[in-house]
Amino acid sequence: MNNGRLYRRIAVAAVLLSLLAGTVLMLILGKNPFLAYYNLLQGSGLAPKAKYAAARSMWTDLSSFIDFWTPMIFAALACAVAMKTGLFNIGISGQMLVAGFLATITIGYSGLSAYLAKPLVILIGMAAGMAVGALIGFLKYRFNINEVVSSIMLNYIAEYIISFFIQTRFVDPVSRQSKNIGAAARLTLQDVAIGGYKFSIPLAFVLAVIACVLVKIMLDRTVLGYELKAVGANRTAAGYAGIRVGRSMIVSMAISGALAGLAGVSYYLGYFASIQPKVLVSTGFDSIAVCLLGSSDPVGILFSSFLIQVIAKGSTYMSSQQGLESEIVSVITGLILLFSACSAFFMGLVVSRKNAKNNTKDLRFGDEAETAPAAVTAAVNRPAEDKGGEEA
Amino acid sequence: MNSTMINNIIIDGMTFALPLFIMAIGGIFSEKSGITNLALEGLQGMGAFIGALAATLAAAAGVPDDSTRILAFLFAALGGGIYACLHAVLCIKFKANQVISGVVINILAMALTSFLTKAINRTVFGAASDKFILAVSKRITIPGISRIPVLGAFFTNVYPFEFLIIVVAFLAWFVLYKTTFGLRLRACGDNPGAVDAAGGDVAKLRFAGVVVSGALSGIAGMCFAYSILAKFSGDIYMGYGYLSIAGYIFGNWSLLPTLAACLIFGFARSGGYELVKALGMPSAYSDLVMILPYVLTLFLLIFLSKKNQAPKALGEIYDKSKR
Repeated sequence: MNNGRLYRRIAVAAVLLSLLAGTVLMLILGKNPFLAYYNLLQGSGLAPKAKYAAARSMWTDLSSFIDFWTPMIFAALACAVAMKTGLFNIGISGQMLVAGFLATITIGYSGLSAYLAKPLVILIGMAAGMAVGALIGFLKYRFNINEVVSSIMLNYIAEYIISFFIQTRFVDPVSRQSKNIGAAARLTLQDVAIGGYKFSIPLAFVLAVIACVLVKIMLDRTVLGYELKAVGANRTAAGYAGIRVGRSMIVSMAISGALAGLAGVSYYLGYFASIQPKVLVSTGFDSIAVCLLGSSDPVGILFSSFLIQVIAKGSTYMSSQQGLESEIVSVITGLILLFSACSAFFMGLVVSRKNAKNNTKDLRFGDEAETAPAAVTAAVNRPAEDKGGEEA
Repeated sequence: MNSTMINNIIIDGMTFALPLFIMAIGGIFSEKSGITNLALEGLQGMGAFIGALAATLAAAAGVPDDSTRILAFLFAALGGGIYACLHAVLCIKFKANQVISGVVINILAMALTSFLTKAINRTVFGAASDKFILAVSKRITIPGISRIPVLGAFFTNVYPFEFLIIVVAFLAWFVLYKTTFGLRLRACGDNPGAVDAAGGDVAKLRFAGVVVSGALSGIAGMCFAYSILAKFSGDIYMGYGYLSIAGYIFGNWSLLPTLAACLIFGFARSGGYELVKALGMPSAYSDLVMILPYVLTLFLLIFLSKKNQAPKALGEIYDKSKR
């Protein structure tokens, strides 16, 4: 059994355990868990509902689900690129907000034609996210500031400053959110009628799949990807091997930020058309769960983001059908995160057991770390986190 | 700038700074033992949730106000401490990455508390609500001293929990620097191998450090719930946990400089609010003031992160076989 397969088994176990815990919670509250889980599928357009409003069908729900799924793919890729370099980008939500806001006020309100506006939205989103990401990487490299603390601070600063500008300049008095952007700048085509039904067509989804492929190629097939992973695996060793560690960290955070920016524009200028002040979307935080569950691998992320978003998207419908608090799904996501965080331990356990069985003659203790797969080691073996690698 | 303004800055600044300080003390206990603790945010939220739940239940049962408050703080410390065990188990037993574990603990705390608040409100109290309303704690003004100009403000309109925090701070200093336990705990963060060789149990000591941080964070969360918020709701997750982390990094993991950092955060916040009020600016401007502590944190970290020395073995998983 290779490590990829082993990891997939552990990931599936983590999901099943979390769903089981959710089942227990629902039973305690006196609800039918099977119906609730089926509602999740119905809400995401993966199973037919009992009745639909006019011009809506299961496929309408599915197209809206894909629209909702797109930002998460970008966000989880953003998390993965940083994670491979041994950095933890918890500022994805903030980067999304900055990108979404800047694209909204520059292009969203501009009245440019669609062919000009849409590419510009994407470029501005990427650039804005990249700038914030690179700043975090720079602070880490130059001043040894823990990237978690600095990105959280930037999250709050972005949240309040943007909320200030929305409330003083761009507010819609009825919705209390920023004014809706023009349809030309929107990355999702709304209410496209095909065969009597209306669909939302998320153009950014194509981009998300392309991004998955590009990130995969970058990480597995290029010198840059190799350097990033080397820095993630062991900063000191990478430095001795002649890799410019500081540059790698900044580049990694810049790429991560750019992907987060894409998540931001596909969320605020795609799935939605406005920004709610004083709120950081949970997508950025949930993307950590997605990334861990998909073992920071772009292909794994496609699957795990699909799963997490089905749970998230279906929660509203489930809540209305079962009278259950929709927050229960964030509990389930949180539990998936919890179990995935332990996955490295279980992998080490299984691998060391197999080793003990296979080479009973050559029994060496304490070798789990060496036998664990590169992906896991990259995410786990970074004890030098807060020390800036001064142990050399 | 008149004297009531200065008084307000001091009074509000202290009610914000002291809970941050007690949370930072918790963080110091955990990090001195070698466990990175980004979970403070979640720990204070969970503590406040348990405390507020206890207070609401006690109030419903007719317990008098004063005893309710004491009960709330006890349960907050207990809740935070027990929830912190999760972080300890993840970091020590399951050898999870401590940064990831901390963030997981935070996300799970937010999800759990908001779900449970709604579910309990619906099933127990039969109300559709996402918060537990708490009365603002009563305040004490010490007669005599409070009449001194400027300094007197430190003794005016003081919440009782502020005294509790000062007592706990002294206790924490004594335990950390004057007992064998404290010595060993600090050694765990610098050289766990040496503690092991001297017969100390690294895993147990680190576990204790994390649990203490949970209990103290729980108390801090309850302070916020009883003062700034006057309720428990999702609003408790305002990033104060991260502020206190910045506080002890700025304070170089020692108590008095950390207190200074927390006071700066507190006064920056209350000073900004007073300024908005004094200049008669519209309320949207208070959003700009809200970023003051965060901006200040970033700047302070820029100047101090390089110089400051974290515990040597911070974030390292202790593996006996690799000694």
